[in-house]
Amino acid sequence: MAGIPHDHYEPKSGFERWLHRRLPVAGILYDTLMIPTPKNLNWMWIWGIVLAFCLALQIITGIVLAMHYTPHVDLAFASVEHITRNVNGGYMLRYLHANGASLFFVAVYLHIFRGLYYGSYKAPREVTWIIGMLIYLCMMGTAFMGYVLPWGQMSFWGATVITGLFGAIPGIGPSIQTWLLGGPAVDNATLNRFFSLHYLLPFIIAALVVVHIWAFHTTGNNNPTGVEVRRTSKEEAEKDTLPFWPYFVMKDLFALGVVLVVFFAIVGFMPNYLGHPDNYIEANPLATPAHIVPEWYFLPFYAILRAFDSEVWLVQLVSFLSFGIIDAKFFGVIAMFGAILVMALVPWLDTSRVRSGRYRPQFKWWFWLLCVDFVVLMWAGAMPAEGIYPYIALAGAAYWFAYFLVILPLLGVIEKPEPMPATIEEDFNDHYGAKAHPAE
Amino acid sequence: MTLRTKTLTAVAALTISVAGFAMAQDGATTASPEQQPETAQTAPSGEAEAPASDDAATQEAASEDAASEDAEEPAAEDAAAQEPAAEEEPAADPPAAEEPAAEEPAADEAEAEAPAAEDAAEEDQAADAAPDETVAEEEAAETLPADESADQPEAEEEVQDEPAPATDETAAEETEAQQEQPAGADAETAVEAESAEEPTVAEDSAAEDEEHAAEAEAEEHGEAADHGDGGGHGGGHIEDISFSFEGPFGKYDQFQLQRGLQVYTEVCSACHGMKFVSIRSLADEGGPALPEDQVRAYAAGLAEITDEENGEDRPRLPTDHFPTVSGMGMGPDLSLMAKARAGFHGPYGTGLSQLFNGIGGPEYIHALLVGYTGEEIEQAGSIFYGNTAFPSGAISMPPPLSEDLVTYEDGTPATVDQMARDVSAFLMWTAEPKMMDRKMVGLVSVLFLIVLTALLYLTNKRLWAPHKHKKLER
Repeated sequence: MAGIPHDHYEPKSGFERWLHRRLPVAGILYDTLMIPTPKNLNWMWIWGIVLAFCLALQIITGIVLAMHYTPHVDLAFASVEHITRNVNGGYMLRYLHANGASLFFVAVYLHIFRGLYYGSYKAPREVTWIIGMLIYLCMMGTAFMGYVLPWGQMSFWGATVITGLFGAIPGIGPSIQTWLLGGPAVDNATLNRFFSLHYLLPFIIAALVVVHIWAFHTTGNNNPTGVEVRRTSKEEAEKDTLPFWPYFVMKDLFALGVVLVVFFAIVGFMPNYLGHPDNYIEANPLATPAHIVPEWYFLPFYAILRAFDSEVWLVQLVSFLSFGIIDAKFFGVIAMFGAILVMALVPWLDTSRVRSGRYRPQFKWWFWLLCVDFVVLMWAGAMPAEGIYPYIALAGAAYWFAYFLVILPLLGVIEKPEPMPATIEEDFNDHYGAKAHPAE
Repeated sequence: MTLRTKTLTAVAALTISVAGFAMAQDGATTASPEQQPETAQTAPSGEAEAPASDDAATQEAASEDAASEDAEEPAAEDAAAQEPAAEEEPAADPPAAEEPAAEEPAADEAEAEAPAAEDAAEEDQAADAAPDETVAEEEAAETLPADESADQPEAEEEVQDEPAPATDETAAEETEAQQEQPAGADAETAVEAESAEEPTVAEDSAAEDEEHAAEAEAEEHGEAADHGDGGGHGGGHIEDISFSFEGPFGKYDQFQLQRGLQVYTEVCSACHGMKFVSIRSLADEGGPALPEDQVRAYAAGLAEITDEENGEDRPRLPTDHFPTVSGMGMGPDLSLMAKARAGFHGPYGTGLSQLFNGIGGPEYIHALLVGYTGEEIEQAGSIFYGNTAFPSGAISMPPPLSEDLVTYEDGTPATVDQMARDVSAFLMWTAEPKMMDRKMVGLVSVLFLIVLTALLYLTNKRLWAPHKHKKLER
């Protein structure tokens, strides 16, 4: 493996040598676990372990839940109630799984925004970033389909609205929608295929996670300074890094413990806080809820979807230029997927050579504004599309696109970055206040 | 070398904590129904702790570095800390009475009935409530006494060969005897017979009164934003109530649930079913905790059910669910109503007030039941009744409650407000019967995670200290 020079696995016993010649699995594990990691990583670098935990939690609780769940329109809702009421510990399983999805998204958003601030997407880590975006897309698909399974009102109508997005594609849209649903409307066929895919996608995510880790183990971790680890010799590299085990494993586990205290408090004491009351009403195709809202983690993009209604001049212009092929609905769909696409393309949109936002005085402000924008969009997405809210959502959506398409490309040209430390070691020692002396 | 010992210490700490955590989970879910804190529970926990402390001992022997002692100590403390937490559980934790097997609730429920003191009062309640309800279910309108009691002894005999403590069996016989009386006379005599028992319950209602006083000053979060939110069930004024089951340590009030059950059976059940709620769960500790014979009598008093195996109608058994009610003029199922409505949405539709007040489902039900304005609006041939809590301001359900509509066995004055509170609390229980179990698991998990996290913090600090150029405290 290219990358930072470090000690590699040496088979010691006869059996180890025997196995190593045939399948170097111990070597791969050793190199993965002992990977040199920049020693100045801060607490924003812990979300990866939280995400790994979430994936494991969701897969384990999910497999057990699937043993008791029945994917049929007449039985799904009752089987979920059966899990909460009659299955041993089922109330915890179900709430752990439901709130586990929320923790998953909290962690992934913090992970993504950490990457955006410290420039983790920049060369040579573009592939890591792209894989990460693919994982995020898979997570959204999994979460969306998982939310349909309890077959409550929001499950049903959320599925109707979201699959309707594909129907907005001109020409082939309606066929795609029918293909996705397995029929003209959300029904038993939809529930069955969503259950099947909801079970499949997490394993695809797990595979992508392996590739994600492989990719950044090849390039080495980014770090808060954005300065690369010195790689000329093993000795120099060791001044900048510490092995992942045990230093970062312990640190990450401690952070995970803190996160889990909060998580278990939510699951134990207020597990329905993040859910929607309407999902405790069994799905009824004849009664539309007054206000269809997706889960909180989709709200920012849902707000962008709804922001571009037919009254926005840009939508009218595009509609006119495309001879009405791109109507307001399709425009909204494009905007929603576009919002994720621009984020995925950020490695090529950001022109600044400086990686870390720490040394970019102007960038900092725009970045924090983007964070505020994200929260505002989330709030606007939860509001009814009337009164002032569509305007707030539109402004929020406009800033989202402006950040990626205008501000980042321009900033790289006009901004004057602040001086950076020459090495990670220097940064680390500055922070911990002492001159370097060799560790034990 | 030092690195290795530290690592070992860390692993030991982790293992011990994880073991404790698993034990806590285990105690909360599987062990608690056994209800034998002295025998069944202490034995496994003692076993689990022994290897844990062994671990600590061997670790200490192996590690020569003084550094490891620091982390070791909390680990040992942890092992000690597990003890009270794990043991207090069977005592405090409400049993999930139906867990071993859905088909045989009687075995658990019999054991679950420890306090014999209230039995007499409760039996009376079920004895005269049950005949009433049968009609309520079948006729869907009136609450006249009926002569259904002939069915009940049969139902009981079927189940009685299952193991039950002697006291309960004799009690069951008493109930049968009472049920054979002409049903019409029940209501009056039962209330009188019970007046001797009243003091016990009166204390409870006194406690309730305090709650009322506290609630009077409760703030009304989220009101202003309700209109802006329009989340389907926004609506008007929802008053916050401090129910006994709120908060991390909240518990259902058994007597309030029993009163709520009475309101449901005598009033609501005429138009609302509860198809997800099993009748046997009425005996669950932490729920209404009715004695099993009362539960059987109650089941038999409900509308008949079509047997799945032979397709014939038969009286309901505790293993059946509450009836499903549907059809013209009937209301929605109430099993999950308290979770299917939100009372609070604000401020500004963010839902943050729910962090302090709860989601507000029971509060919404209460507000709806007391929120009738007396107005009647005719619209497209149907009559709607003005209601301050209902989102559109008028609801098709006629005002269901009126002063003294039910007669509480425990002597609690049956005001509209009181009945609304009781039935709201009861519906919260039907929606979330495992709430107290869940909170206990949550509490134990949080406590263990705090200990684990503290240990990991110390381990991590010690591990990094040499690299952060801090002096090692030796």
